[in-house]
Amino acid sequence: MGLLRYTLYRLLQAIPVLIGITIITFLLANLAPGDPVRLMLQGQEVDEELIETIEQRYGLDQPLHERYITYMSGLVQGDFGHSIHRNQPVSDLMLSRLGPTLLLVLSAYAFAIATAIPLGIFAATRRNDPADHISRIVALIGVSTPSFWIGIMLILLFAVQLGWLPSSGLVYPWWGPEAYDWIDTWPELLYQTARHLLLPMVALGTLQMATLMRVERTQMIESLQGEYVKLARAYGVPERTILRKHAFQVAQLPIITIIGLNLSTALGGAVLIEYVFNINGMGRLFIEAIQSLDYQLIMGITIVIGTMFVIGVIITDISYAYIDPRVTYGEEE
Amino acid sequence: MANNQKVWTRRHVLASGTAVSAAAIAGCIGGNGDDDDDEEGGEILDPEEYDYERDEPDDPDAVSDGTMVYTQELERDEDFDPVVANDAYSVQVSNLIYDDLFEFNYDYELEPKVAVDFPDVERDDTRYLYEIHEGIEFHNGDELTASDVAHSFTAPVEEETPNISTYDMIESAEAIDDYQLQVDLEHPYGPWEMFNQAVAIVPEDVRTEDTEAFNTDPVGSGPFQWADFQHGEYVELERFEDYWDDPMPHLQAIRFEDNVDDASRVSEMMAGDTDAIGDVPNDDWDELEGEDDVNLHVAESPSVAYIYFNCNEGAGTADPNVRRGIAHAFSMQDYVETYLNNAAIPLVTPTSRITNDLWDFPVDEWEEELYPQYDPEQAEELLDEHAPDDWNPTFLAPDDERATLAERVATRVGELGHDMEVQTMDFGAMLEQTIYSDGNPDDYELYIVGWTGGPDPDQYLYPNFHESQEGTNQGHFYEGSDDFHDNIVEARESADDEERQELYNDVIEEILEELPALPAYTEHNSMATGEHVRDMHVHPQMQYNPHLVSDEGNVWIDD
Repeated sequence: MGLLRYTLYRLLQAIPVLIGITIITFLLANLAPGDPVRLMLQGQEVDEELIETIEQRYGLDQPLHERYITYMSGLVQGDFGHSIHRNQPVSDLMLSRLGPTLLLVLSAYAFAIATAIPLGIFAATRRNDPADHISRIVALIGVSTPSFWIGIMLILLFAVQLGWLPSSGLVYPWWGPEAYDWIDTWPELLYQTARHLLLPMVALGTLQMATLMRVERTQMIESLQGEYVKLARAYGVPERTILRKHAFQVAQLPIITIIGLNLSTALGGAVLIEYVFNINGMGRLFIEAIQSLDYQLIMGITIVIGTMFVIGVIITDISYAYIDPRVTYGEEE
Repeated sequence: MANNQKVWTRRHVLASGTAVSAAAIAGCIGGNGDDDDDEEGGEILDPEEYDYERDEPDDPDAVSDGTMVYTQELERDEDFDPVVANDAYSVQVSNLIYDDLFEFNYDYELEPKVAVDFPDVERDDTRYLYEIHEGIEFHNGDELTASDVAHSFTAPVEEETPNISTYDMIESAEAIDDYQLQVDLEHPYGPWEMFNQAVAIVPEDVRTEDTEAFNTDPVGSGPFQWADFQHGEYVELERFEDYWDDPMPHLQAIRFEDNVDDASRVSEMMAGDTDAIGDVPNDDWDELEGEDDVNLHVAESPSVAYIYFNCNEGAGTADPNVRRGIAHAFSMQDYVETYLNNAAIPLVTPTSRITNDLWDFPVDEWEEELYPQYDPEQAEELLDEHAPDDWNPTFLAPDDERATLAERVATRVGELGHDMEVQTMDFGAMLEQTIYSDGNPDDYELYIVGWTGGPDPDQYLYPNFHESQEGTNQGHFYEGSDDFHDNIVEARESADDEERQELYNDVIEEILEELPALPAYTEHNSMATGEHVRDMHVHPQMQYNPHLVSDEGNVWIDD
């Protein structure tokens, strides 16, 4: 099977998965106790008539299956519906929040990969040295510490106590310097983006970094003990070349799998990090949608996150084949 | 703007290490201090101690370019059209954009603003004649006229917005000429003069041209005008240089942001990343008060919390003796001292303390004679005698600090030999199981909810106790004495304050005797500001905060 056919095949496989996500989410959201209209109006004197008017306005007076069919028919035309609580198209709300979440998650991944791989290699090549022990302890702490707690500690240290970095918010490069009164130039904008991003990026990326580092170390140790490495050494190939050309490449396959599968963990972690660092991303929007029982918004965000995850897994599978020629696209040779 | 960075010293390194460790042990900023029923409480904060004197600048011209960032404690719905807006945080912004016909002062009494004076009242208290100031301009240069005021009154009803109940007693509102307005009510409406006539005035022409666009690009006649807006991110307002009224704001601009996480918001304040934050968490009060460059502000508010009892047949709490027994079983004072000493004051009436002051209710007498004080012996006696055999009531509470009150009640009642189960859940789910249910005693016998009223007793008593509000605002299903519900309606539909006061006395006394709901505590409005933010005063009406400019305060930035 060619790459294009394989990709197409995997995308087609994703369709029933996504339909399943819509059904489960729709049922869970709509059958959860609570009423979004009453919740919206809670705390003020209201009568049943007003509640019914608003329910009709948003189609909430229809039977569940009709509401699902109406929702899906809109969805296939690209209409994610209208937020009850925020009185805005769901697509507009998600678009405005997608950027910060992607910036946060991708930068956390970049931080994790950029630190975990060198550290993993470093630890593997110094196996059982003090440096290896230290790196393993660091990784263990990273794996076992909740990201939100790391975030709070980073804020306390670097923002509150030292005043080096901002405690909250993000500066969005896509808004340009003109959106900020206190920023004049593009380099300054990028600098401020980096300053604001640093703490949430580290807080979110630490778990990924620790996980990747542990796997990288293990894989590199295994790889360095391989027969082909011994042969290379016997031929007098320099150690640096062995490490780079023979051991490293083979060791990366599990790393790619973990990066792909950890996307959901990262998106889940982003929810908390967005809260702690007051970042207006999809995660925060999702929590608020759940709290206000904003059905359409819950659906929209779940579908987008589900799609991102499915695409992440597909990209992971496809990447395999590029890195390891032994991997085929699902057919026996 | 916020820019207070601390200088790095070795002492800071050590301090930061200590702080990190301490926070790690204590559960970090924003902990709610729960789980320890025997925790030592603090002294209950007296908001009057934070009633600061005016702090005017020596040279007003020198401070006329100050700007500030205000961090709200919850996200705005981004509805800036007062006809449709029903979230307090959007209204905090829009209150600076619009002028009201009448505005609340710090004593929570209405004063004429756009109105020249209080209205002439005719037709058996159902016709109100208003005269408005001439020459008031909206931010687009149009003159504010009586027809704009009329539209502001009638639009919520005509468009069936969530604010309909505030104005649905209006029969008609018509401009007599550009500066005179006649509002006819369907019947006398008691709270009208104390509350409902404080309408925010929108420009009819601009608004009706495109109501959706107006909602996020509003035009008013207030001291600040719309400058910039990013949905979900920030709103920026700038001073309206042609503002008609005195005083002119010192502040040149304000930027509203939000941070819903208590710990994060407090960190922002401590790091100097914002100039002011709304709602200081109870447990962070002392820490912020210890900061040299932070000032704290607090004012009593009309927000109250009640413990409601299910009075439906079949519930143990249907018996008023059981309700009283539960109320005697625990100390509200002790609870507030332990968990909310900086954020609330125990309440002994179903109306807020502010309302009680305005109406001169005999609160001391009620507290002494009617409110069930902590008395475990009497509680035991009442529960032993009147509680059903094998009585295992369920107490529903939202998963916030109110759950700790439910736990405390359950613990104390448990000590008297009756197992009470506390179920904490998401707020929406709790409402569904209580207020929006048919009151099945198997589902709940007690629940706790807060309510924000206003200066008029009707704003508490009608929604929370009148039978018509069952299933929409209350789930206690209290039948009441023969004239209990009639008295509530009669007081609502009377404009005679003396008559209303007598009726409310009867209603409140019955509530305190029969206890369909136990008044729990009244919550404060609070704020933390940087030391450079001067002449800030917290208003009892939460939507008025930050209250930037009035005869009683004019915020400025001390650079």
